[in-house]
Amino acid sequence: MSLNYIILRNLKKNIKNYYLYVFALIFSVALYFSFVTLQFDPAMDEVGESMKGGAAIGASSVLLVAIVAIFLLYANTIFIKRRSKEIGLFQLIGLTKTRIFALLSAENLILYFGSLFIGIGAGFVMSRLILMILFKILEIDKLAKLRFSPEAFQRTVLVFAVVYVLIMIMNYTFIRAQSILSLFKTTSTTQGLVKKMPLWEIIMGLLGIGFIAAGYYVSSQLFSGKFTGMNGLMLAMIIILALVIAGTYLFYKGSVSFIFNVIRKRKKGYLSINEVLSLSSIMFRMKSNALLLTVITTVSALAIGLLSLSYISYYSVETSAKESSPHDFGFVMKDAGANFVQALDQKKIGYTVLEIPTIRVKLDLGEVLESSKFPDNDTSLEATVISDSSLEGKDVQPGEVMITGYTHALQSMLKLRDSGEVDFYTKDGVIKQQLSELSEKPVLPYYYGGGVIGVFVVDESVFQELTAHQDPNLQNNKPGSWNYRGIMLKDHSQVKEAYNIYLEQKPEFPSFAQYEYEINQRTNMGLIMFIVGFLGLTFLITSGCILYFKQMDESEEEKDGYTILRKLGFTQGDLLRGIQFKQLFNFGIPLVVGLCHSYFAVKSGWFFFGTEMLTPMFVVMAVYTVLYSIFGLLSVLYYKRVIRESL
Amino acid sequence: MVIMQANKIYKTYGNKFNKQEVLKGIDLQVNKGEFVGIMGPSGSGKTTLLNVLSSIDRVSKGTIEIEGKEFTGMKEKQLAEFRKHHLGFIFQDYNLLDTLTVKENIMLPLSITGMSKKEAHQKFDQVSGELGIHELKDKYPAEISGGQKQRTSAARAFVHDPSIIFADEPTGALDSKSASDLLNKLAAMNSKRQATIVMVTHDAVAASYCSRVVFIRDGQIYTQLNKGDESRQSFFNDIISTQGVLGGVTQ
Ligand SMILES: Nc1ncnc2c1ncn2[C@@H]1O[C@H](COP(=O)(O)OP(=O)(O)OP(=O)(O)O)[C@@H](O)[C@H]1O
Ligand SMILES: [Mg+2]
Repeated sequence: MSLNYIILRNLKKNIKNYYLYVFALIFSVALYFSFVTLQFDPAMDEVGESMKGGAAIGASSVLLVAIVAIFLLYANTIFIKRRSKEIGLFQLIGLTKTRIFALLSAENLILYFGSLFIGIGAGFVMSRLILMILFKILEIDKLAKLRFSPEAFQRTVLVFAVVYVLIMIMNYTFIRAQSILSLFKTTSTTQGLVKKMPLWEIIMGLLGIGFIAAGYYVSSQLFSGKFTGMNGLMLAMIIILALVIAGTYLFYKGSVSFIFNVIRKRKKGYLSINEVLSLSSIMFRMKSNALLLTVITTVSALAIGLLSLSYISYYSVETSAKESSPHDFGFVMKDAGANFVQALDQKKIGYTVLEIPTIRVKLDLGEVLESSKFPDNDTSLEATVISDSSLEGKDVQPGEVMITGYTHALQSMLKLRDSGEVDFYTKDGVIKQQLSELSEKPVLPYYYGGGVIGVFVVDESVFQELTAHQDPNLQNNKPGSWNYRGIMLKDHSQVKEAYNIYLEQKPEFPSFAQYEYEINQRTNMGLIMFIVGFLGLTFLITSGCILYFKQMDESEEEKDGYTILRKLGFTQGDLLRGIQFKQLFNFGIPLVVGLCHSYFAVKSGWFFFGTEMLTPMFVVMAVYTVLYSIFGLLSVLYYKRVIRESL
Repeated sequence: MVIMQANKIYKTYGNKFNKQEVLKGIDLQVNKGEFVGIMGPSGSGKTTLLNVLSSIDRVSKGTIEIEGKEFTGMKEKQLAEFRKHHLGFIFQDYNLLDTLTVKENIMLPLSITGMSKKEAHQKFDQVSGELGIHELKDKYPAEISGGQKQRTSAARAFVHDPSIIFADEPTGALDSKSASDLLNKLAAMNSKRQATIVMVTHDAVAASYCSRVVFIRDGQIYTQLNKGDESRQSFFNDIISTQGVLGGVTQ
C-alpha cells in the first residue's frame, strides 16, 4: 500500500464526508475574491461621494478575512479531532509522526488549493453579479463589466496561503501531542457530561434569563431621557452589551438545561420519543457549546441589527429626504430662487412656488411636556412659527396651535402630550394658545425651520399678531431678503433634469434639494448595507457550517442510542421526527435568541436611521432565517443517514 | 404452548462473490415460560441467530413465528411495531441511553405503546422493585455500577410484559456475584411471571440457570440439553462436558 494510494483513498472518503466544508471553503474564497475584485474595480471610484467605495470595501475585506480565517481554523480543529483515531492507527502500523503530517498536509493541499482555484473561478463569475447587485442598490445606471483583476487574484492566493500555513501549524502541533493511546479513547463525551443538575447551574440559568431581560429593559429606556449626555449614553450602551452577552452565555450554559430539566421533571420519567431525542440530549450538550453559541448569537445579532438599520435607512430614503427638505427644492435667498425658476422656465419644466413666511418666537411648552429634562425646569425654547395660510388644506383655529415635523426621532427624545397650553412670548407680552394637533409631516427643511422641535403652525390672525410684536433679536434674517420659498415640480419625473440645473447654479446656503438628500443617503446607506450584507452572509454561512459540523459529531456520538431505540421498536420515521424536533431547538434557540437581541437593538434606536422600522427589519430577519434554516435541514439529512445506518 | 417457532432458517452475509453462510438451516421451537440458553464457540453464529430470531436482522431463507405471527416477510415498520409489543431485549453492553435516567430508560418501551401514565408508573414500580433498583430511579447510567446497569436493562426488557425476552450474554461484563444476582432475578422473573427467555451465553454457570440449553456449531444445532428435574449442579456438569466435546470438535 503506497503513500499515494492512502492519500487518494482518504481524500475520496473525506470529500464525501466534508462536502460542506469544501463547499464553504469554495464559497468563502469566491466571496473574498469577488469582494477584492470590487475593491480594485475602477467603477467603484464613482460610487459614493462622501466616502470612496473602493476604500470602504477594502477596509471591510479585512473583516471578511478574519471571519473566514477563524472559520477555517475552527473547522479544522473539529475535523482533526474526528481523525485522531485514524492518526493513532497510522502510528500503530508504524508510520512516523512526520510521515503522518506529510500525509495530512498533502491531502489538505489538494483539497484546499483545489477549492481555492475553483473558488476563484466562481468568484470571477460572481463578481459581476455582485457588481450588478451593488449598482442596482445604488440605482446607478451602468452595465457591470466582467474584468479579471490580477491584484485581486494575487491577494486572494496570498491570504488563503497564509491561512493554509496556519492550518498546517495547527495540525502539526495536534499530531505531535497525539499518542497511540488516543486510539483507545472513546470519542464519546456524554459520559462525563451527564450528571444531576447542581444548584449553581440552576442559579446560573436564572441569572442568564435575568441578565438578558435587564439588558432588554435598559435598551428600551436608552433614549427615553434617563441617560443624558454622551457619557451617560455610552455607559448605558456598554451596560446593555455586557448584560446581554453575559446573559446569553449563562443562558446557554444554564437556562436551557434548567428549563428543559423542569419540563422533563414534570414528565416523571415517562418520556416520548421526541423528548428522549431532543430534551435529554440538548440539555447536556448545549452547555458544552455555550461559548461557541454565544459568539455565534452575538455576531449574528450584530449582523442582523446593522443590516436592519442600514436597510431601514435605505428603505426610508424618500421619506427621510422629505423630512430634510419637504419640497423638491427650497430657497431662502431671493435671487438664488429667482435664477433657478428662470432656468426651469427655459427648460419648460412646470412647477409651483410656495411662499412660506416664517418667524422665530420664544415659547414655553410647560404643560405639554410629558417628561421634562430641561435644566432648572426652564421649559422655554425657541422655535419657528408659520401661518396656516401657508399650508394648503390645513385650517388652525385662532387660539390653537399645531406642531408639525414631530418625527419619530423627536418623539423618542421629547415626549409631548397631544393637548395643553403653549405660551408664545412676544416683545410685549404672552400669547396663550391651546395645542390641537401633533403631526409627523414636515413643512420646512430640517436645517431651516426644524431644529430642536418641529415647526409651530398658528392661525393667520395669530401669526400677524406675532409678527407685529416680534422680538428682532431672535430673527436671524434680514427682513425682505430672507424668506423661505419651496418649489414643487408639477411632474416629478423631471426631477433629475431640475437637479442638474440646481447643481450648475450651485446656489449658496441655505438652499435645499430633496433629490440631493436622496442620492446621498441612497449611496451611503446602500454601500453600507451592501458591505454589511456581504459580511453578514459570510458569517451566516460559516457559522451555519460550524453548527452543522457540530451536529455531524453529535449524530455520530448518539448513533448507539439510535441503535438501541430501533431495537426497542422505534421506526426510522419515529427517530427522524424526534431529530427534526431536536434540530428545531438546536438551530432554533440560537436563531430566536439572536433575532430577539437584534430586535431590541434595532428598536432602541432605529428612529435615527429612518421612518419605518417593521417592514425592513422583518425582511432582513426573514431572509436570515431562511438561509439559516438551510443548515438545519442539511443536518437533518445527515442525521437521516446516521439513523438509517444505525441498525 | 409453542410461543416461537423457527423453521429452516439460513443467514448469509456478503455479496454474490463473497458469501459467508453463518446460519445453515436451524429449526428451533420455544415453549411459553421456557428459559432457553444458546451456547457455542465464538463465531458459531449465536448473536446472528438471536438477531434474526428477534427481528433485528433478516433471515436469508426460512420462517420465524412468534405467537403465531410470521414476521420474516414484514416491512421495517411492521417489524418495529412487532418488536415493541412482543419482544424485550437485554444486551451484553447494557444498551442504556446515557442521557436518560434509570427510570426514563425503563419506561421507554411503555411510551412507545402509548400506555396511560398511571399504568406506566405502576408497572415501573413493580418491575424496579422486583429487580431491586427502585432507589436508583433518578440516577444516570454513568452514576451506577455495571450490575445495576444490567438490571436496569433487564427491567426495561420486562416492563411491558413481552412475549419473549432475548438476552445476549447478559452476564458477560459482570463479576460472578453480580452475574449470579442477575441470573437469580431472571430465573425468578421466569418462574413468577411465566416470562419466556432466550439467552446467549459463553458461561456454563449462567447456562445452568436455564431449563434447556441449545448448542450451536458452524451455524447448525449440534445438540440440546434439558434440565428436567436435575439439580443445577448436575446440569452444570452436563453442560461442561458437552462444551468439552463441542470445543474439541471445533478446534
Ligand atoms: N454484519 C456482518 N457481516 C458479515 N459477517 C458477519 C456479520 N455479523 C457476523 N458475521 C459473521 O458471522 C459469523 C458469526 O458471527 P456471530 O456474531 O453470530 O458469532 P457469535 O457466535 O455470536 O460469536 P461470539 O461468541 O464471539 O459472540 C462470524 O464469522 C462473523 O464474522
Ligand atoms: Mg456474539
